[in-house]
Amino acid sequence: MVTENVKKILLVDDDIDLLEQNKLLLESKGFEVITAENSEEGLKVFQKEKPDAAIIDLIMEQMDSGFVLCYKIKKTEHGKKIPVFMLTSATYETGFKFSASSKEEKEWIKCDGIINKPVVIEDLLAKLENFNYQQ
Amino acid sequence: MNNFKGNILIVDDEKGLRLGTKRLLEEEGYNVTAAENGTEGLQFGTNKDFDVAVIDLKMPDIDGLEVLKEIKSVHPNTVCFIATAFASYETAIQATRIGAFGYIPKPFSPEEFIYQVEQGLKQRKLILDAHRLELEREKNLLELANEKSRLNAIIKSISEGIIIINTNGDLAYYNYAAIKLLSINNIQIGEKILDKLPVHVTDIVKKIFQSDKIMLKSYTTEFSLDADNELFLEAACTPIPNPDGSLAGVVIILSNITGYKRIEIIKNQFVSMVAHELKTPLAAVQGFLNIIMDQSIKLSPDKQHDYIQRSTLRLKSLTDLVNDLLDISRFEMKTKEREIIEVHLEEIICSTLQMLELELNKKGITVEKNIEIKLPFIKADINEIARMVTNLLSNAIKYNKEKGKIFIDISSSKNYVVLKVRDTGIGLKPDEKQKLFSEFYRAKNDMTRGISGTGLGLSIVKRIVDSYFGFIEVESDYGVGTTFLIKLPINPN
Repeated sequence: MVTENVKKILLVDDDIDLLEQNKLLLESKGFEVITAENSEEGLKVFQKEKPDAAIIDLIMEQMDSGFVLCYKIKKTEHGKKIPVFMLTSATYETGFKFSASSKEEKEWIKCDGIINKPVVIEDLLAKLENFNYQQ
Repeated sequence: MNNFKGNILIVDDEKGLRLGTKRLLEEEGYNVTAAENGTEGLQFGTNKDFDVAVIDLKMPDIDGLEVLKEIKSVHPNTVCFIATAFASYETAIQATRIGAFGYIPKPFSPEEFIYQVEQGLKQRKLILDAHRLELEREKNLLELANEKSRLNAIIKSISEGIIIINTNGDLAYYNYAAIKLLSINNIQIGEKILDKLPVHVTDIVKKIFQSDKIMLKSYTTEFSLDADNELFLEAACTPIPNPDGSLAGVVIILSNITGYKRIEIIKNQFVSMVAHELKTPLAAVQGFLNIIMDQSIKLSPDKQHDYIQRSTLRLKSLTDLVNDLLDISRFEMKTKEREIIEVHLEEIICSTLQMLELELNKKGITVEKNIEIKLPFIKADINEIARMVTNLLSNAIKYNKEKGKIFIDISSSKNYVVLKVRDTGIGLKPDEKQKLFSEFYRAKNDMTRGISGTGLGLSIVKRIVDSYFGFIEVESDYGVGTTFLIKLPINPN
């Protein structure tokens, strides 16, 4: 069920269990998945592979590693064209105050949506479908 | 002898009169001292505060007026009479001017004399009463003044800000702390103040003014005046009622609650981190189960088994985390009763090494011990010390290299037992060293990949060491190894 726009997805997560699970889930839907275990590696793989979407874990080496990587990706020419999602088990109730639902927040966070762990693949697919690739 | 009526001094050089009046007064119940000349009279009268003194005017050595003057200068409350046969108007005036109460003309009848002395005693009582009242009044005034200034001093010096506003919105009272906390200046008693107060406070005060019924309770609000949230204030506004029940004004108490706010922020951050750390292993287990149950994903039996095993590991780490959190919470709440006994560190090291034998063998790590022969006991809770040692040694194994070494060195100084644990492991970068003891901090780099932990182990070690007033230091070379040095007091008390 590969969407028209997305064939190759970059996954960045320092939790190797979650990384493997999400890779498997996405592969089962027919996506090509490339992975990285930290933000530095994530940026390198992104620049080399030019994926059609990226899903990045929020808290890796540092509390804000995911934010920083998102920001760096969104600064590139290619990054501006593709959906970049932030993956976290933090929620609003546990003090995570971002929903990336408003334009301002998207501007500020520099990502196109938040995905909660564990990943519900149907939700993720819907998010990929709904992304405005024309922007 | 009748009841004691008073102390009387008689100064007269005429022996008959002197003894006669003495006996007369003694029969009436007075205590009488008689002086036979001016010198003696002066001596007696200045040594003791007599109630009444009767002084003869004409004496061969010292003049009666001179004696009177001297006595009055030392004991102004002694009621003095001048007695003389040479009565003249001028003498009387002169005597009263110097301080005599009255004038007894000689010769006098016993009744007349007694009557004069009684009048003198009444006067003496009046003087003493007046004097006592005066002292009391002075004391009361002093106390009142003290009380007022004390109250003022207290209000002025307390760190809470106080502002009192009457129903017109005029400033009725304020203290220094109030203007300091609100960073307002140039305010004066009597001026309209509402507009100068923070809007949070003004809103409450206005509501109190507008309500039809005075509720005798405080309305509080929290606010920050600077954008950086570096100063948090709490304002408690309480209505002040008049005796008839109507509203007289509002008293506002301002407190600096920045410290509490900071703790609240730290607490919230901690809760967020705990929630995150708890949810991550849960998400991993849930994810594995989802994949195993997903019909569309075909897993080999080996892969399935691998995922179940990895789920079990994640659940174990979750259990460890919950146990660590409970330990920290016990430390914070100090609910755990300590059992202080004499603990021998060497024994604890040995039993911990036995417990960790499996892990040591798995990595092929060898341990070298160097322990002082007559090592003193330390007074501590054995479970806490065992926990401290376990956390240190299991870190020394976890972050060691394959076939690495652990050096354990225990010695003692006068007041401390010193434990050194050195590993030949991956070491720490300088910036990692700083964060080592904070909750949930785990050095994350290529070398720590695959090492599991709660991020609370060293934080617990530090809490234990601190609670015994000990010291912990860490030295480390990245890629070479890390040394922990712990000093525990032999007798913490």
